[in-house]
Amino acid sequence: MARLLAVLATMLFAAGAAAAPDRPRVVAVNYALAYIAERLLGDAAEVVYPVPDGTDPSFWRPSIADISAIQSADLILLNGAGFATWTAKVSLPRSKLVDTSRGLADRLIATETVTHSHGDGGEHSHEGTASYTWLDPEIALRQAQAVANALKARGLEDEGRVDDRLALLAADLAALDAAADEALGALSTTVFVATHPRYQYLARAYGLTILSLEWEAGAAPTGDELAELRQLVAERGAEVLIWEAEPPEGARAAIAELGLQDAVFPPLAVEPPAADFVAAFAAGIEAIAAAASRAESG
Amino acid sequence: MNALYLAFAYLRYHWARSLVMVLVVGLILFVPLATQILLSTSERTLTARADATPLILGAKGSQLDLTMAALYFSEERPEPLPMAEAEAVWDSGLGTPIPVHTAFSSGGFRIVGTTLDYFDFRDLTISDGRGLAVLGEAVIGANVARALERGVGDALVSAPENLFDLDGVYPLEMPIVGVLAPTNTADDDAVFVDIKTAWVIQGIGHGHEDVVTASEVAAGLDVTANAAIVEYQRITPDNIDSFHFHGAENEFPATAVIVVPYDTRSGTILRGRYLDPEGRTQLVEPAGVVGGLVDRIFRIKTLLDVVTAVIAVAALAAVGLAVFLSYRLRAGEIATAVKIGARRGMVLRLLASETVTLLLLSGLIALAGAALVARNAEAWVGWLLALGT
Repeated sequence: MARLLAVLATMLFAAGAAAAPDRPRVVAVNYALAYIAERLLGDAAEVVYPVPDGTDPSFWRPSIADISAIQSADLILLNGAGFATWTAKVSLPRSKLVDTSRGLADRLIATETVTHSHGDGGEHSHEGTASYTWLDPEIALRQAQAVANALKARGLEDEGRVDDRLALLAADLAALDAAADEALGALSTTVFVATHPRYQYLARAYGLTILSLEWEAGAAPTGDELAELRQLVAERGAEVLIWEAEPPEGARAAIAELGLQDAVFPPLAVEPPAADFVAAFAAGIEAIAAAASRAESG
Repeated sequence: MNALYLAFAYLRYHWARSLVMVLVVGLILFVPLATQILLSTSERTLTARADATPLILGAKGSQLDLTMAALYFSEERPEPLPMAEAEAVWDSGLGTPIPVHTAFSSGGFRIVGTTLDYFDFRDLTISDGRGLAVLGEAVIGANVARALERGVGDALVSAPENLFDLDGVYPLEMPIVGVLAPTNTADDDAVFVDIKTAWVIQGIGHGHEDVVTASEVAAGLDVTANAAIVEYQRITPDNIDSFHFHGAENEFPATAVIVVPYDTRSGTILRGRYLDPEGRTQLVEPAGVVGGLVDRIFRIKTLLDVVTAVIAVAALAAVGLAVFLSYRLRAGEIATAVKIGARRGMVLRLLASETVTLLLLSGLIALAGAALVARNAEAWVGWLLALGT
């Protein structure tokens, strides 16, 4: 069924690419960038998020038809910071690419290092980069500015209108930042655990300690995964678990049995249900703050 | 009319002699015509590609080597320049940079690593299959397809840079996904790949067996694999996820960067930015470089023209002598014609008709040959130029 849906989504995406030749098309590799592009473009262009529902955009593998449709877009918005590794393994027209985190090298967070050797070559290392940059509203704004510059440079929308919309978006992100600062700023002593390593930028922006697991989104944790969490509670004093998607009912009960509070904060790489980027971000902040408050009050 | 009829009858009766005369005169007329057509087509072909390429950015060194490598994918090896230079052009907002990486070959044809912008810039179209989509794929020029008898569904293997290069440059097997329509340019003799694929061939990027598990990554462990790891020599859907690059893309090499300024003013500003004699890069105008080369080559053409003219005069003199001698041999025949009542004017008209008929037939043959050359000149010149790369 999932495969059928993926095929249908691909066909719709490809058909959309062929059907609307008059309206420019902008492809975004994640929901956060698609939201930013939609805010800045209004109805001036069609914004396409090509990843099928239920697929993690970080690990999506586009088909040849998907790649062809993306190649024909007027603009392709990349997140950079190692997000969507498929973009490094397909051929995309450089003249249409915009790396929205280019110029933010000093703001990116390095992750794991792997060292190996092969053949007659010497040892070398791979250093990873945390990808969910937009969870820091300041970085999200810088990315929005990069998108705005690209839209103006390519004439996809009137410069004045883009500037006006960017100002509104900047105000929303500033309000979000202020709200997050107020709600999360005093939680530096609370130890959070996230079901996935998604929240590095959020943690840094508001001084949070967020440990990470590798649980599948939306699935109940296995016995081994719960044991790993129990260990983190015992060793690191974890108090709040952050889900990236609404968990199954039984999973919440299992977490409660470990003495943890929990909250859902969608990392916004995919569109959240029934809310846009700003609303979902704000709701996530409130949920985390409330969970921390419950944990503190015992 | 009678003179023409008699002249034609005479030529037909002496058909072998007439045929030789027609062919000789035809060749005398055809050779300079064909030479002129081929040379002017060569000049046009050489300069057209250079004229269509506004600027080339490369490392300091021979401008000719840089131009030949970027335009004709020749075997010259200009010093590579880092991709940061291409990004600097992007950042300037003055033009579109199109990197080309021509360090490797396959089956005797150059592998050209570039971006999809190159295909739009050169207006290349696919005649069979599709364009590049995934890392490791190749799209081949029309001549490559014909010479190697390969097409969509076949594969090409990159040749190691040299026989003794044991340090990382492994042959990569590349599936052919498309064949380009012929253009009678150097693009017909190229194997096009994404520039990232060229970097994989160079050993900057590679894929291999996993050395780390997801849980180890999650735990933030530094993992060191000391044993040699098996590298993949073909990029497939099953192993593509393991392919990765080492270092920053800005430091990866390109042979040259074709720069297409947005307008004349942008081009002027860009040229000004690379005038620093201490700089490590140079921005050259290929039209000027190729124009200088063509000028030098075509100085030889002047000499060739003189030689052709001298030979033509000598050949015409020989033909004239042959005609004169044939008239002398026919002195008895002419005397008989006069004795039976033909006036001198009639005899002259008869001889003139024969000569004009011969020349007309020779001219027609020369023109037909010239038309054939003109029709195929671009293809033949393209083939001749490709022989030198």
